[in-house]
Amino acid sequence: MMPLLASIENTAFAAWVRESSSLWAYPTILFMHTVGLGFLVGLNVAIDLRILGVAEKLPLAPFEKFYRVMWAAFWINALSGTALLVADASTKLTNRVFYIKMTCILFAVISMVLIRRRVFGAAADRAGLAAPARALAAASIVLWAGAITAGRLMAYFGPVSGAPGLQNRLP
Amino acid sequence: MLQALSTWLHGTKLSWAVAGGVPWIWPLCETLHFMGLALLVGIVGVFDLRILGMAKGLPVGPIQRLMPWAILGFVINLITGSLFFTGDPFQYIHNVAFGFKLLFIALAGVNVIVFYVTGLYRHVDGIGPGHDAPLAAKLVAAASLFLWIGVMYWGRMLPFIGNSF
Repeated sequence: MMPLLASIENTAFAAWVRESSSLWAYPTILFMHTVGLGFLVGLNVAIDLRILGVAEKLPLAPFEKFYRVMWAAFWINALSGTALLVADASTKLTNRVFYIKMTCILFAVISMVLIRRRVFGAAADRAGLAAPARALAAASIVLWAGAITAGRLMAYFGPVSGAPGLQNRLP
Repeated sequence: MLQALSTWLHGTKLSWAVAGGVPWIWPLCETLHFMGLALLVGIVGVFDLRILGMAKGLPVGPIQRLMPWAILGFVINLITGSLFFTGDPFQYIHNVAFGFKLLFIALAGVNVIVFYVTGLYRHVDGIGPGHDAPLAAKLVAAASLFLWIGVMYWGRMLPFIGNSF
């Protein structure tokens, strides 16, 4: 397993992401990952809040249009995340917190798809949404919060990773 | 003055605690800072994108009901951000990226003030489902998206352009 991870890490692309002094390498990829997080999680939470009863005067159906943006943000983060992952494959893939993050994202995306299928639909614009819809919305918020928390804590638990010279850890 | 303020801040017990004296404070604040970011960008994003013509089925007025949650995100980030500054003021005060981040936040604030003072707010409030927002409102919405994405950019560049951390 470790030789495989090391060989991923030693590809030219991974080395470039990790070691290039260019702002277009690690810094810009990390920035893309942050913008993607903002729109993916933020728009999901906006929809969740509406389902939970905030701004009930807003019709729910038109919110479905934001799924395009949410999926775009998802793919930006899948790609930027993969780049950050290969750059530090041997540290990130051996970090238990990484798998917690991935599990949270898996279930958060499942809830995002389920909300579109089950909640957006003919009956979506009744003032009060059914309990299962609210449960999905609440689960979505909890799962995204979990993904953010695990993502951040990857820097503190397990082996050190990230751009050289970037001090993720406390002294 | 900034130097004196930073020196004073750095000497406080709070600064010591945030900078690692109490080791869980910094990671907790970082995590909350990302949650606040998502809340702010997501809710403001719904409003701006609707003004720009996406999800036109939404009446604009009631979107305001979501705004307290965006403000909550902003306040969370103001508090956690101030704590970062308190923890290690000298890593920020000479940092170009930090200067630009504050500038972009200030400009985003000015953008909101323009939106209210010019009366655009009242105009936009009555826009029903399916109707277009005026060009002036679209410019304000586009500026808002640009500025908040810019705030994220400068925040992310703190360690890389300005050499913090």
